[in-house]
Amino acid sequence: MSVVTVKEKKNISYKSCFDVIGPVMIGPSSSHTAGALAIGLVANKLFKGLPKRVVVKYYESFAETHKGHGTDFAIIAGILGFATDDSRVPDAIKIAKSQGIYINFIEESGDSPVGHPNTADIYLEDDSRSIRTVGISVGGGLIKVKHIEIDGFSLNPQGSLPIMIAISSRNNLELELRRIFKKYDMDINNSTNMEKDGKYLYQYDLDSQLSSDARKELEKLSDIANIIIL
Amino acid sequence: MYLSIKEIVKAANEKQVPIYELAIKQEMEVTKSSFDEVWEKMEKNLETMENAVKRSVEGDGVFSPTGLTGGDAVKIKKYLESGKSLSGDVMMRGVQGAIGTNEVNAAMGVICATPTAGASGTIPGVLFTIKETLQLSREDQIHFLFTSALFGMIVANNACIAGALGGCQAEVGSASAMAAAAAVEAAGGTPEQSAHAFSTALQNLLGLVCDPVAGLVEIPCVKRNAVGAANALVAADLALAGVNNLIDADEVIDAMYRVGRQMPRELRETGLGGVAETPTGIAIRNKILRKK
Repeated sequence: MSVVTVKEKKNISYKSCFDVIGPVMIGPSSSHTAGALAIGLVANKLFKGLPKRVVVKYYESFAETHKGHGTDFAIIAGILGFATDDSRVPDAIKIAKSQGIYINFIEESGDSPVGHPNTADIYLEDDSRSIRTVGISVGGGLIKVKHIEIDGFSLNPQGSLPIMIAISSRNNLELELRRIFKKYDMDINNSTNMEKDGKYLYQYDLDSQLSSDARKELEKLSDIANIIIL
Repeated sequence: MYLSIKEIVKAANEKQVPIYELAIKQEMEVTKSSFDEVWEKMEKNLETMENAVKRSVEGDGVFSPTGLTGGDAVKIKKYLESGKSLSGDVMMRGVQGAIGTNEVNAAMGVICATPTAGASGTIPGVLFTIKETLQLSREDQIHFLFTSALFGMIVANNACIAGALGGCQAEVGSASAMAAAAAVEAAGGTPEQSAHAFSTALQNLLGLVCDPVAGLVEIPCVKRNAVGAANALVAADLALAGVNNLIDADEVIDAMYRVGRQMPRELRETGLGGVAETPTGIAIRNKILRKK
């Protein structure tokens, strides 16, 4: 696998007033419920569909308090694509099981592999494919994505969202992507290109949320690329 | 983006605008949103806060699934109606709103994280009591939330707002300081006074640990928001009275961060220290684990 990474600029984590006043959420914990849901939602967006099997590994504070904080149902709610204030959140595990999804929660006793007390490692699979992501819940509902495995690629993003990933057999997709970024005035903090077995992956750490128009235009590329917006 | 409280005060003075205006402008620029989008989003947050406080005093109140917390907002409301509170109605009304919100949170109801769910009672507690005292309009209340948010981002970006990283001083401490700063502005104080209120409020909660019994966001979390609201009101009054701090808000934020780094993990949201490790705390944890 060949990797090219472009040097990044300094990253500020909390950029919006609504990162600290908000989210509107089902309690009881913004880091262990809402943040956990957000990590589950990352897995949902990477997998794009319902998995057959879910394995969640918790580290440190997550491992100690996941039961009382509803972290279990929150992560599953995210995997199912629910929002933080969706009333179905507390029933997410029941809902998942009723759809035949096998779930396993593991409390790891060692230190977090990414050095943070709120670390969850999520693995989703069905008969033909799998994804893996390691996320950290940094507080107030905000998360960072520290590791992604998809389609044979392995990424270690800086962490802050939004992150855009495009996977394609086309090796010239970057031109089109950058044209769209420029058109919608999108700032890129960091970018990585990878190639493996004739497939190309482009990852961009974006400075701010995409407008709905930018999103629509990127999604138009979905017949030539797998576009993932985290 | 403003990266220190010093910068916020300077900008507010230079531009001769309230802090909430700096917050709204920054939000529009950084997130590429319109004024209406930003305003409506904050209004939704305000509605969520109102609904939670309302729910907490309906009937007998709201109770958590474990039964460890609940019903206290109703008790406080009744006590307030007796007119005999020692700390005063304004204070106790703030406490009632704070405790009520956290009871809804513990019951896994819908709340607005400010900046976290564990600290979700402090800011609404303060806002809804000074709303009465100062006769704040809906617009004023949304301004309050924007001001508190701008201060909140400084502490979130320079220190932390998660109990697992910095203990409760990072959650309720931060929320209390945010509320104090916003309360001062709502009462007509200067940007410097807001910063002094922030500094006082956070200094007074330095070292506060995160020691959740059975790992739940109930004991002592619900009542910690009572002190968050009360401390904010006191800090705001001190600032408005002209009581200042030699150690400024930005330095106190850094102190909070370092204290958090020095805290052992037993006191940072693991449920392995503080009241969580008292004989009763341990018994409660075992009882709840057995039930599961």
